[in-house]
Amino acid sequence: MSVTVIVGTAKGGFVLRSDDRRSWQIEGPFFKGWKVTTVARADDGTFLIGAASDVYGAAIHKSKDLSDWRQVAQGPAYSEDEKRQLTQIWKLVVQDGAYYAGVAEAGLFRSEDRGETWQPMPGLNDHRSRSAWMPGAGGLCAHSILIDPANPKRLWCGISAVGVFRSDDGGDTWHPKNNGVPVILEDKEFSEIGFCVHALAQDPDNADLIYRQDHRGMFRTKDGGDHWERIENGLPSGFGFPLVLDRETRALYAAPLESDEFRLPCDGKFQIFRSRNGGDAWEPLTNGLPQEHAYAGVLRGAMDADHLAPCGVYVGTTSGDVFVSSDGGDRWNALPYRLPRVHCVAAYVEG
Amino acid sequence: MAIVEIQLPSVLAAVTDGNMQFSVEAQTLRDALDVIVRQHPRLALHFFNEEGVFRPHVLCFLNETNTRWLDDLEVPLNGGDTLRFMQAVSGG
Repeated sequence: MSVTVIVGTAKGGFVLRSDDRRSWQIEGPFFKGWKVTTVARADDGTFLIGAASDVYGAAIHKSKDLSDWRQVAQGPAYSEDEKRQLTQIWKLVVQDGAYYAGVAEAGLFRSEDRGETWQPMPGLNDHRSRSAWMPGAGGLCAHSILIDPANPKRLWCGISAVGVFRSDDGGDTWHPKNNGVPVILEDKEFSEIGFCVHALAQDPDNADLIYRQDHRGMFRTKDGGDHWERIENGLPSGFGFPLVLDRETRALYAAPLESDEFRLPCDGKFQIFRSRNGGDAWEPLTNGLPQEHAYAGVLRGAMDADHLAPCGVYVGTTSGDVFVSSDGGDRWNALPYRLPRVHCVAAYVEG
Repeated sequence: MAIVEIQLPSVLAAVTDGNMQFSVEAQTLRDALDVIVRQHPRLALHFFNEEGVFRPHVLCFLNETNTRWLDDLEVPLNGGDTLRFMQAVSGG
């Protein structure tokens, strides 16, 4: 069973391959000089990536083999009338034939032709509260997308610093779902927005069970977002960005940082935290991770799992390190690469 | 019609199937831009912003002239002219 891990960095993408999850080969960079921001894989094996440049804008590209890439015909784009600039593809999701892209400036797009052309979803992009949407430190971006596997008309989208929205009608209408989470920037007119979700993870068998790494802490909902409860027992800080769930064991993985003010690993220790009971309690994972003078963080897209048994967990840091665990996080290895700042990590099992 | 040479930065090579240097036939600068984007439609996204004008850090030189200095794009082209695209060095 081989594993392919795609690491998207500020200066291109890299492909890591392993047959045993111990020894790794690296290829790349592809899209040299471009910021590779998100990766998805379609049912037929086609990879999709988002690549962005401060000079040349952002686009989606497709490849069957991670070598020969082709920019899609008509990627997500705003019209001149909308007075919005599309600067980055933040999240690509392909699930059961449905294609979604979350972008900055915040918006959600959908493709009906396997990612070749993309259409905006006005129910969210032109939400009645839109005029009050404010950016977070990473910009005004739609970065998290969830689809209910049992009912693809139920969708969730996380936008910084606006909050979580849910649609129950296939994306025609959207409703803020942030009850129980402290607001970060209260709007005078639209009190239901102004929340800063950082990442979402969903139980594969129960779409109503969603975990939320938020600016204001770690949260869980059991009713699809109608109510959120805080789950921080054992975490050194509620602040952080990535949140990953192993589909097999339901273990959760997070990378807390010391407060939004400092955004550094707590006490200079690079630790991944794991919960094996749905967020009720968290434990630090340190074996093989630097525990002294480690000040790199993990961006929201830069952690993934391969969902094998035991689960492989892959983490890329803001200083370009890649840490891998092939035993659910008990032991970690640093790969011998020093890559550019890691924006996204995506793991795929082959064969 | 003049045959002009187009030079693209290597970072955009993937958008043009690896063609970083090629020729087009055009009468004016505007024609040339139209032809380039017609031949390589995916370039439009990278050259132009949502308002249809050059992105702030995309430079287009007609021979030695920065086309931003021109009053408009209705500039006649001559055979052998070079149209060169590059990114602005604006900060480091």
